[in-house]
Amino acid sequence: MESLEGRVAGLNITPPAAGAGASTQIRLRGQAAFAGANNAPLIVINGLPMDQGARPADGAGQQRDRGDNLQNINPDDIETMTVLKGATAAALYGSRAANGAIIITTKSGQKGQGIGVEFTSSFTSSKALNFLDEIQQTEYGIGQSGAKPLTQGQAQSQGQFGFGARLDGTPVMNFDGVMRPYSANPSMLYDFLQQGTNFTNTIGLSGGHANGSFRVSFSNVDAEGIVPLNEYKKRIFNAGINHDFNKKLKLQLNINYANENNINPPQIGTQGDGPVNFFNRMGVSTPIEAYRDNAKNPVNGAEYKTNGFLGTINNPYYPIQNGQYYKDVRNRFLGTATLRYDITDWLYAQGRFNYDYLNSFSEWDRLSGTGTDNPFQGDGTYKGSYNLLQDISTDINADYLIGGNKQFGKFSVDASFGGNTWRTQWQRMDQSSSNFVVADLYSIANGTIQNQSYGFNRTRVNSLYGWAELGYNGMFYLNLTGRNDWFSVLNPANNSLFYPSVSGSFIFSELLTNQTWLNYGKLRGSWAKVGSSNGVNPYDGLLTYSINPNQFNGQTLATVNGNLAPNPNLQPFVVTEQEIGLEMRMFNNKVLVDLAAFHKVTTDQILNVQISNTSGYPESKQNTASLRNSGLESLIQVTPIETGNFKWVSSWNNTYLATEVLDVGNDTGTLLVLYFNGTGNEFLGELRYTEGMPMNQLYTRTYLRNANGEILVTPSGGLRATDANTPGAELTNGFLPVGSSIPKYTGGWNNTFTYKKLSVGVFIDYKLGGTVLSSTHLNMLRQGHSILSLEGRREGENGLTFPGVYDDGTPNTSVVTNLQGFYANYRNLQIGDPFTYKSDFVKLRSVSLSYNLTDAIRSIGALDFVKGLSVSASARNLAILYKDLPGLDPEAIQSSGDLRAGYENSSLPTARSFNFSLNVKF
Amino acid sequence: MKSKKQYILIFCVLFLFGACDTDFVEINTNPYAVTDIDPAILFAGAQRTHLGTYGAEHTIVQQFVNPYNQGATLGFNFNADIDGVNNPMWDNSYPATIRNMVQAMTLLEGNTQRVNLLSMIRIWKAQTFMGLVDTYADVPYFEAGKAVSEGIFSPVYDDDAAIYDDLYKEITEALAAFNTSGDFVSADLFYGANAEIPSANATAQVAKWKKLGNSLLLRLGMRYSKINAAKAQAIVGEALAGGVMTSNDDNAYVKYDGSTFVQATNNNLRNFSQFNYAAEPFVDQMKNTNDPRGKFIFATFADPGQVGSEPNPDTNLANQFGVPVGVDEVALANTGLGYRGTRGGGLNYSQYNIWVASSPAAPDFWVTYAQTSLLLAEAAKRGWVPGGDAQAKIYYDNAIAADMAVFSLYPGTTPISGPEVTAYLAEPGVAYNATDALELINTQYWIVSFRNGTEAFANFRRSGFPALTPNTYNNDLQGGFARRMTYPDREGSSNVNYQAAVAAIGGSDNLTARVFWDN
Repeated sequence: MESLEGRVAGLNITPPAAGAGASTQIRLRGQAAFAGANNAPLIVINGLPMDQGARPADGAGQQRDRGDNLQNINPDDIETMTVLKGATAAALYGSRAANGAIIITTKSGQKGQGIGVEFTSSFTSSKALNFLDEIQQTEYGIGQSGAKPLTQGQAQSQGQFGFGARLDGTPVMNFDGVMRPYSANPSMLYDFLQQGTNFTNTIGLSGGHANGSFRVSFSNVDAEGIVPLNEYKKRIFNAGINHDFNKKLKLQLNINYANENNINPPQIGTQGDGPVNFFNRMGVSTPIEAYRDNAKNPVNGAEYKTNGFLGTINNPYYPIQNGQYYKDVRNRFLGTATLRYDITDWLYAQGRFNYDYLNSFSEWDRLSGTGTDNPFQGDGTYKGSYNLLQDISTDINADYLIGGNKQFGKFSVDASFGGNTWRTQWQRMDQSSSNFVVADLYSIANGTIQNQSYGFNRTRVNSLYGWAELGYNGMFYLNLTGRNDWFSVLNPANNSLFYPSVSGSFIFSELLTNQTWLNYGKLRGSWAKVGSSNGVNPYDGLLTYSINPNQFNGQTLATVNGNLAPNPNLQPFVVTEQEIGLEMRMFNNKVLVDLAAFHKVTTDQILNVQISNTSGYPESKQNTASLRNSGLESLIQVTPIETGNFKWVSSWNNTYLATEVLDVGNDTGTLLVLYFNGTGNEFLGELRYTEGMPMNQLYTRTYLRNANGEILVTPSGGLRATDANTPGAELTNGFLPVGSSIPKYTGGWNNTFTYKKLSVGVFIDYKLGGTVLSSTHLNMLRQGHSILSLEGRREGENGLTFPGVYDDGTPNTSVVTNLQGFYANYRNLQIGDPFTYKSDFVKLRSVSLSYNLTDAIRSIGALDFVKGLSVSASARNLAILYKDLPGLDPEAIQSSGDLRAGYENSSLPTARSFNFSLNVKF
Repeated sequence: MKSKKQYILIFCVLFLFGACDTDFVEINTNPYAVTDIDPAILFAGAQRTHLGTYGAEHTIVQQFVNPYNQGATLGFNFNADIDGVNNPMWDNSYPATIRNMVQAMTLLEGNTQRVNLLSMIRIWKAQTFMGLVDTYADVPYFEAGKAVSEGIFSPVYDDDAAIYDDLYKEITEALAAFNTSGDFVSADLFYGANAEIPSANATAQVAKWKKLGNSLLLRLGMRYSKINAAKAQAIVGEALAGGVMTSNDDNAYVKYDGSTFVQATNNNLRNFSQFNYAAEPFVDQMKNTNDPRGKFIFATFADPGQVGSEPNPDTNLANQFGVPVGVDEVALANTGLGYRGTRGGGLNYSQYNIWVASSPAAPDFWVTYAQTSLLLAEAAKRGWVPGGDAQAKIYYDNAIAADMAVFSLYPGTTPISGPEVTAYLAEPGVAYNATDALELINTQYWIVSFRNGTEAFANFRRSGFPALTPNTYNNDLQGGFARRMTYPDREGSSNVNYQAAVAAIGGSDNLTARVFWDN
């Protein structure tokens, strides 16, 4: 997806920094639905529809990013990739394309080309970008109250604090009982991280004759992430076959088989395990060698206690050195067969069958001694866990289409009618064990507590649809579509929805043929409606019970299942989109302008609505919410210079996106999506949808201020936070909106310079107008690691007098000497002011260089069997030209999901990469 | 005509796809889910209701303290109103035990054969709501737990006194409905077939439940002692007449195997153990009276940060020192201020013994004979039940002896001998005397309720004993004690009745508003 990043107006691609095989966030024209729904565009591969299926690191529930379905496609197999932005895509692909679609066609050879071999080899090396010196203090070491640890016990309980003494280089006690110099070891995370590599090789064989063509390819990806032991290995086999049985009957077959091995995707985004959380939250005065060499406590084999928050701040060397692992193996088969019969020269019928089979298997363990200084449970067995998870899913799409086109004088008609059935089945086998009897053996058989579960569901969507294009004189076109979907997940009383669209275009350049400056001009407009059951899961309407797998002293126990009050009355939700656009090519096609304005309203959104848990359930699914995404997309491309040998093409695309929450479906007008601190694993703020505000509002408490805007402090000079008495925060217990995570402006400026066979690309992209909340900043402040935490203990200072006023308006004169307690209250009180930043950035995203050596090599007589040869080199994430968030890359948020939008916590740093590749054709 | 044929074809296919949602109901039915259940095992799943937490109730009543303010550890230790500390009682009741009991009652609707099961659920639901009212004052009651049965997503908050009236009605009606020749509820964790002391049949089980119900009724009646002595006396008399618990065999409790099922608070004390200490008033009470229970409750670990690695800590009561309330860890670490400083990775103070009283295999008690007998002692002292001081002393001594005997259910204990009990009962500050009777009785109630924070917190507010000194870390509570916990923040944005509820308790959802019986 990186190839599209910043290059298509309206397309917002965010690759999270989450490891070698991580997923990507893709949003077309904003986020159509609230978090929880699938907001990524539909991926259509040779007619096979596939959800993007991102499996992001989502905080407490999942701290490893396990990739997405796009990874099953080898970029070298792609012939074309088209982005369908509007809801008009939905008539063809149905509700799943309510967020637009990315249409991918893979290669299947050319008729009459003969046999050819193509080989592509690519090597990428990547390294983390380090901005930590912008925020990390290096003046004070581990300790509390201005004192160094004197004993090993103190070193072990204070390692997470940088409130010790001023660093002086003298020997000090460390957690492992070794005396080491009390001096700064900044940016240890970057010493822990390694160089990432990626080797990708593809070999393709293609051929074509008069009645058909084929292409088969095999690719191998062998990647290592920037986190030690993170590997990603992938093999993809792809085949495309076209065959004409006769002039009327044509067959197309596409098969794609992908085998992925995602080993040890990094643990990010939460407290607990993971290197980012550890190194950013430990004091600077113990060197990384100590953590590496003495990760294990020699007495009991558990993790050597390095800090008083052990359990939430865990030494990453311990699991690495002692065999903790996470393996995710996915095998996916995608197959499409299309049979087309041309009934007459203007009428055809087509049938298509898509089959998508996925078998994924995960296995992981957690060591007895990880995150604890005592490897034993209270009952004397070993801590830790072992887990097995297998998912098998099949996804079948079968459709037919009858279509024709005919010209009647100046009028043309192109019309089709079809039907589709989409059937899914999903099974999950889940086993785990814990409380182990034999040390260091992680298996089901060794656990005294064993759990297993089996998940199963089926869904079906049936559809009928038709569309027609009426043209007049090649100048006016009118398109009409209609589609009816029936959803199995909904109550039969409400499971059917019809949705139409209408669009028209006027090619006005046809009227202006005497205007030589205008090569092409088109005005278009459309209105479309799409329905979707997105957000409703199978069996959501059912009340079920769960039986405790273990008897309680011989007695079976049961409980009512689930957090969602069953709602059998859900209906499909609807997205209505209007769009107008203008496309012009001018001055010999040297200037190209493409403008679009869209207005997209989602109504009756199916949403997990928070209800009072005194009702028995914390949430219920409701058809309540609505929201609006509107925007302006522009693409301007100019060719300033074009001589015989040299060409410079410069293009700028920009999207302005405005979002507004119209209705959240409750009386308070605000809907809490996630209280980050409430997950037990995160720290700061809330994500809310609030009526009248842009989507994805981040909320925090802020400093309490008086009517003059001055910050109020307690009589002893301490912090005070807004509360339920603060105007505007009555319903949110003091939490106030601090901005939306969604950037208002997204775009890129691309320049391509071509000189003879040499081509150079320079690409700058940007996202502006979003907000980010940084837990890294919060933790580094409250634990005494950030430069901000130096306030009150700089040279000559003996405590902090916070710039504020007392209740009576007189300036604060109290001196706080317990700085640790003072700064801890930012977390206790959830004051977010110092941790709220704009997520703006402008990046020199890539510079690439490619050279076509075909002629050069063919000129060597003996090598004229070579049909093509090109080499290229590129660099990615070369520089951040502008950002607001110090210390971190604002784009490096940990999750590709919508639940943690704008929330930064222990994300992996962005990597800068260099790529070399070679393409040869025989 | 060619086009006509096409229309027919189209209609056939249309029929084929369009009408085949006939099997959608079957497709959308989970063939593997449990959609039917015996309400008795739902009740069994709900019997282990919330008993308070160390960070909340036990901190308020000064049995426990976390003197650290390192982020996410702020709460009642420093008189702060922190959502996550206030919520466990609420969150472990409404969407958990209450939901299950309400559903079990829904399943029992119209069933006349299982009247004993229904009565048990009514009593136990009343017990749960009594704890909720005692903790939060007005709470949703009549409309609670009805998201599915009646589609109520924002239950109305009911007046605390009105809820108590209905709890009285529920308990008394349920007691009256018990039928010794009715159903035997084998699943009952307290007195059923798999209980620690199983009942042989419905007759035996009903007898136990009647004692439990009447003991709860006694508890409920005593709650009125501050505001309506006559009402208290009437209910207490009714409970005594109905028959309350008479020995430890009647206790409503469960034992844990310490492995698949563990006493929940153990994990909290084991993890991040350097933060967790016994509070000075509790330790001093036991030390000053040579309480033989003290050695099972407190321990001095060589490294307070690694209690899980030290199976044999120092439990000698004389060596125990509780953390003074309202002092933070920075001060406590400073011996220059007269505090005991640091030890290992923590502070040089006593902690709870995670191998005995706070072991993963420690039992949980909801209603005990000891508590019941202490309430009767107070009632006798007040003249609400017969016998005066003489009978009060008997109730009091019996309660203490019973509570000491209960320690034999804990791992790592040796029985407290008769002479030890006798010696303790003679200790100054323990021995019953008419003048200090209410303080003595309720101080003992505080000790025996170290297993049930909700009850310790409620009875402390009701009786005013033991005579604790308020935590004066800051002035958030105006020098007093927390009188209730605040509603979960979540209610503010998820329940439309929240604002009205706050208005009804005096206009501010704070820690100093009072439950109706605490005025």
